[in-house]
Amino acid sequence: MIQGIFYARFFPRQGTRIVAQSPPGCIVPVPGVDKPCLFDFGVLQEYIIPRQAFRNRYITVNEPSGKYSVLGFPVSINDSKYDRNEFIFNFGLVVEAAAVRDGGTDGHDAGPGGDDNDQVPYERVVRRLAATFAEMEKQTGFLSQDQSARPVDDSDGSGGSDSETQSPSKARAAAAAAVRNDHLHNPVGSYRRRPIESLLEIIKEDLNNYGECMIPVDDANTLNMKLFPHHATPPIVRGWHVPVAKVKFADVVDPTWDLTLQRVVAHVDGVADVRRIAQRADVSLDLAKLALRHLLYYDTVLLLDIFLFGACYAPRPGIHDFVANVGGMVDECANYVCAGGAVAVSAKSTGADDGGGGAEGSSGQGASGNGAGEEVLMTTFCVGKTVAEWLKLHMDAGLDVLRFVDVRRLVQFGVIKGCLYRVHKHVVSKQYLAALATGQARPVAGGDPLQRYTDGCHTFDQIMTEQGLTDAEAMEKLKRLSASAGDLGVIYK
Amino acid sequence: MALSVLPSPDNFVGVALVINRSRDGPRFVFHYPPHVAAAAAQSLGSQADHGDDMDDDDDLAPRRNSRMASFEGSSSHAEHGADLGNWNHDDHLVTDSGSQIVPWERVAGFPTKDLENILTPARAYHKRLFQVSLDPLYCVSYPIYVPENGVWRKKKREQQRTSGVKDDDGSAQVETDGAAKSGDKGASDADRLDRRDAAKGAEEAEDKKSNMTMFNLVFFLHPNKHEVRDLVDVMFVHIIKKINKAYKYCQQRSDFVWKESKKILALKDKGREDKRKMSLLWDEILATSSLAASMQDIYEAVSQNKIAALQLETAEGMVTHSVQIPVPFHVSDLPPDPEGDQSGLWMTTANSFIPDDDIEEPEYLDKNFALLLLADEKKIVAELQGDPDGATVSMVEFVRHCKPTLSFHQVGQQSSNVLTPAQVRKYAEHFIYWRRAIAIPPLHARDMYIVNPNCDMRKLQQASARWARQFPLLPALPNFLAELSVAPRPYKLHCPSKAHRHVYMQMLAWLMRGGWVTQLCTFAYVVVWPEIIYEVEYALEAEELTSAKRAQGVAREPSPSDTDTTLASPGSSISALADTATAGFGFLSLLDDASNMSSSVATLRPNTSSDRDTPIASPLRRPGDSLSRGTSHDSSVSAASLSTPAEQAAEKARLERIADKAARDLAERAMAHARKAAPVRTAHPSVNSARHLVGISPRIILDAKKATGKESRYLSAIGQRLRDRAAAAPGAASKDAWEGRVAETWPLFWKYFNGRSALERIALQEEMKRKDVWNLLTAMSEFFICVRHW
Repeated sequence: MIQGIFYARFFPRQGTRIVAQSPPGCIVPVPGVDKPCLFDFGVLQEYIIPRQAFRNRYITVNEPSGKYSVLGFPVSINDSKYDRNEFIFNFGLVVEAAAVRDGGTDGHDAGPGGDDNDQVPYERVVRRLAATFAEMEKQTGFLSQDQSARPVDDSDGSGGSDSETQSPSKARAAAAAAVRNDHLHNPVGSYRRRPIESLLEIIKEDLNNYGECMIPVDDANTLNMKLFPHHATPPIVRGWHVPVAKVKFADVVDPTWDLTLQRVVAHVDGVADVRRIAQRADVSLDLAKLALRHLLYYDTVLLLDIFLFGACYAPRPGIHDFVANVGGMVDECANYVCAGGAVAVSAKSTGADDGGGGAEGSSGQGASGNGAGEEVLMTTFCVGKTVAEWLKLHMDAGLDVLRFVDVRRLVQFGVIKGCLYRVHKHVVSKQYLAALATGQARPVAGGDPLQRYTDGCHTFDQIMTEQGLTDAEAMEKLKRLSASAGDLGVIYK
Repeated sequence: MALSVLPSPDNFVGVALVINRSRDGPRFVFHYPPHVAAAAAQSLGSQADHGDDMDDDDDLAPRRNSRMASFEGSSSHAEHGADLGNWNHDDHLVTDSGSQIVPWERVAGFPTKDLENILTPARAYHKRLFQVSLDPLYCVSYPIYVPENGVWRKKKREQQRTSGVKDDDGSAQVETDGAAKSGDKGASDADRLDRRDAAKGAEEAEDKKSNMTMFNLVFFLHPNKHEVRDLVDVMFVHIIKKINKAYKYCQQRSDFVWKESKKILALKDKGREDKRKMSLLWDEILATSSLAASMQDIYEAVSQNKIAALQLETAEGMVTHSVQIPVPFHVSDLPPDPEGDQSGLWMTTANSFIPDDDIEEPEYLDKNFALLLLADEKKIVAELQGDPDGATVSMVEFVRHCKPTLSFHQVGQQSSNVLTPAQVRKYAEHFIYWRRAIAIPPLHARDMYIVNPNCDMRKLQQASARWARQFPLLPALPNFLAELSVAPRPYKLHCPSKAHRHVYMQMLAWLMRGGWVTQLCTFAYVVVWPEIIYEVEYALEAEELTSAKRAQGVAREPSPSDTDTTLASPGSSISALADTATAGFGFLSLLDDASNMSSSVATLRPNTSSDRDTPIASPLRRPGDSLSRGTSHDSSVSAASLSTPAEQAAEKARLERIADKAARDLAERAMAHARKAAPVRTAHPSVNSARHLVGISPRIILDAKKATGKESRYLSAIGQRLRDRAAAAPGAASKDAWEGRVAETWPLFWKYFNGRSALERIALQEEMKRKDVWNLLTAMSEFFICVRHW
């Protein structure tokens, strides 16, 4: 939330002064407003109009009590037409500070709701204000010609020595008039220009209420601003990742989307890996990765691994939430993985454990979520057991898993929900490792493309997608690669 | 406690000391490293920040300006005709106009002249967070001002600690007890002050002359946009505040900061005149000033996220102080980003799965954890002895006794009680906090260890070289890891012979230290098989039926009189009524309706006392009635029943109908119950596929310790099973005893079947033999499901 917005200007004789502010009295006191200021302007003024070296850049500072931050972009425009050849101003915002989680002994009271606010989106607003008004000032002298632009408070006596055309009292009247007029959303045409104070008021209100604003400043200029949330940089998309859509792209995609993105999105099916998607969409691999990363940034896809029956999955601590059926996870899973559709979920569980006798026709109990079916399936994954082996285990116990469950979906559900993780296969060559350690690393030594994978940092998925080999082929080739017998090791992790 | 953002050379770019003096104004004293990444970072930073898609039209104008401005800034010192482009930032440059560009007078692309102004905030920031961002750098600090009276020195203290600040809250402690003392000894201090004033007068004059009004150790950070708050937060709380406080302590004791600053500034001024190379000057400053050296230590250590040990040579002796950002040494789950900060951390749930009610109980932790020293024992002992104090001897003792295979509990016992449990705990915490050790579940050869899924394969090169040096005759690290990871097996199976056992345990400890392996633990939940569920349901139903029957039977007892006296007299109708009411009692009790029950009890009482014995004795009937009225005003049945004979009859008929229906229901239920298949106890309930069990799903009890109601019935039913097995077991007495033990331990063990307690640790908790526990668990394994992870 924007707590206050202000326009400060440097006057050659009076120094830094606030010309306009909203709400009135938030930065410097004005007559008729009793509310205390948000902070002591005197303390912060050297950061609002700082020294030359720090101008024309985005500056933020927190005020001493730690409640608010002041975001500003002091602009200085050099031109001989100005007094002292310089025109210096700053449009700033006051927002709640990111409260430091502190012992509290030093009197930092955390700002109200201080944990969720984020200053990052406001940076663009501040930059935009600075850029727009700087440009308008350069073109038309928008700010310097403003006759009402007199300091709000010149009560410290410097007003007496004001040599400019208007008297202080008149200035105060003008400022007050601006305050009174500030709600005017009236037809723009009737004003040649808006008073800056009312502009600030509208900007603050619109951004706080709607997160965006579109405000005509004068006949030719409009301020368009929007607050965009800032997300963390998404992880890098690899060729062997499998994107899974979190939203129905078919519903949201529209022809204005980027063409590459549209083509990529059409092939995201939860099974194909990125390389394959790129092939199918006839898009270069790098572009496909970029497109997916873009979707990742907006949290619309997930990245999983390639599902293979020869791959190995193992439980993570998150599996306890699954067993405890937190948030109805088990039922959700049942709906997602059920292969037969009509076959009741609980049937499997009884089938799993009492020899498969009469698995049909018992659906009522499963709804309670305590049927141990999925739990048993899920918990029996283990390190060192491939999906195929896991399947065999259940087949031997008399449960025809494949009849009831889409195993791929079961595994993916487990991975997405944090119950399972993929145990990756890494191949390590002692010799190559030793060569790397001693610095004689030859990335393509002997020209064999597989050697570079043998430092333990690469998974088999990567080898398979990048080299276009199957697991067995890759293993075969790697074996031929190594000189001595015990050189190669396969680490599962 | 996983921290999301930690300082690194990328986001922590420098540290600088700025002071302010009342007469001469602010001075930029010293900064480290000598070349703080310049403003070039500005454009770089925004490029590196993906998703930072600032509109170009917003940015172009001001950005271009800013670049110009920064040059203009420098041009106030020099017309940039001089070859600024290929300046090595070490030599001095002299421009055409004769002005001199001094390499240390630009920091992070800003002239120090400007920085020293902007970094000396007003007194309002005294001991508060001061944070200013100069796109893209963040300057964060904790300014310290001179007390209002203008004198730094605290005079009231007579015995000053020389190395007072030892642990992290040392400085705070020092301050507070200073304050306390001044209160206590106010009077005596006052006159001592008088005497001292004369002596100290000169010093104070010096103090005032220096007039350093504030100092400010500023940290230059360059965080990613979304990490600003986290980084500032973590740096401020753990580093910035503490170091500034330590400096304040020294400043108050011996005017340390000012004296050192004076020294550094003099060196810099001289260097400026002599046009000394910056690198040489910086070496000299670092060598002569312990303040500058401490800044170097801070930067070097904190940016690598190590422990920064300050050594400040004040006039009153060496003051040492260590600061660090505590780092987690483990994570409980795979971090989302496999290549992120947390990669390589050891994974365990041993710490996060501690049940809440046990966390208060130190015993629990003592038994569950062992201390794994992260460095060589000798080295740690040497470190301890290098800085001796009162606790050194017992700490050395502790270090000698600690083995990764021994729990704290056992360490306490083995040290022949030299160390109390509290001491063991305290020292362990100390070593863990200062990153000399980590707490792990005690290592055991029978436990299974797998390759840590979070291990950092990028470190494999170096690690295998080190491994080869440490264990030259044993399998190479990659091979050993491969062997461990193929399939989980008890660790001892990897060990070729008993003679190797010792060295293999050392290998395991080594692997643990590096986060290469983690224990594969087993977690269990009690699972209730349909057979048990059915049995319990069946028993419950039977119980209910018998209790209902009993109640009905009690009510029906006087039924012979019932039929005899129905039509005998009006009085008998009352009795019959009472009887039906009591018959209804049995029925009502099934409904468990308290108010009805009380009413029927009320009607019953007078009848049993009088009417039943003399059914026709009408004179006695009246008092009974009145009694019943008197005792139960809310008894609608008796009140209504006595209004008119017709109503009485109707009421009676109604009650009879109800009673009949109840009886019929009961009978039907009993019939249904009898028709049901009687529970058959099979040897293996889990595979019982009898017809009547179809449709019952097995149930999982999430936490057997907290089971209530039906779940506890299930648990005891399972216990009963095990007992029966013991009783039924034919043959040898030893086997009998064994089954008996299984039954006995079931209630003892079920508290571990909550999916959070590793079964591997039961032996430690219960102080039983591991093998024994394992056999017992195997014997009862039919009744729980297991899941295995770290």
